[in-house]
Amino acid sequence: MSDEMKANPEEETGLGEAGLEVFRDTVEEFLAAADVRVVYGEPIQHDDTLIIPAAEVLCGMGFGLGSGSGTSTDKDAEKPNRGSGSGGGGGGRILSRAVAVVVASPEGVRVEPVIDLTKIALAGLTAMGFMVGMMFRMNSHRHGIPRIEE
Amino acid sequence: MPVIEMLSKTGEPQRIGKLELTPMNQVLKIQFPGDHGGLIWNRPKAVVVRSDDGQEQILPVTDVTRVAIWAMLAGGILGAIIMGLTFRRRQPETEE
Repeated sequence: MSDEMKANPEEETGLGEAGLEVFRDTVEEFLAAADVRVVYGEPIQHDDTLIIPAAEVLCGMGFGLGSGSGTSTDKDAEKPNRGSGSGGGGGGRILSRAVAVVVASPEGVRVEPVIDLTKIALAGLTAMGFMVGMMFRMNSHRHGIPRIEE
Repeated sequence: MPVIEMLSKTGEPQRIGKLELTPMNQVLKIQFPGDHGGLIWNRPKAVVVRSDDGQEQILPVTDVTRVAIWAMLAGGILGAIIMGLTFRRRQPETEE
């Protein structure tokens, strides 16, 4: 690393710090997903009945930052012989799914589950796929071409 | 090393008639080193029902869909393993 590259570290760290600050704010917002209010929706009052929807929330995110600088050996006076840059990128996803509904009435409180039949059917088909795949594998072994013995 | 945390939180109590409902949730928090991201799994755990006469009841919030999905996948894998083991036991008989 040359002395010129080390000459302006504040500029580089300033850029990096600004970027990092933005990402820290994003992480703080992301961490707010752990709150109870995210899982339980606004209560709905209907006559004597209170309904509270409940959902599960899964969110993930990640990011990276980088910066660097360098000098050019080009002796062109019009062009700057050193430069620096920084960049970053990130991504994330939030998944939410209704799990249950809490119904409170003067008769009592009950938790009604929300059943996602599509997901259950897909899981059932995957399980069937495992079984059928194994059956095919077994059959192919049984009816396979016998080895030629020398 | 990622930081893994399991937390249980309670929300604002809701009042209906003589009952007070307090929602509870469970949070699994995985934070990657250097604040470079993470994962949060937030799900409802239970509802605590308190009546004016001091009785307390905890109603668990069960995710029936997740239970069914895992049961089916576990059944499928277990079935495949059992079929594979049965086939291995029968294989010497068929070769004879």
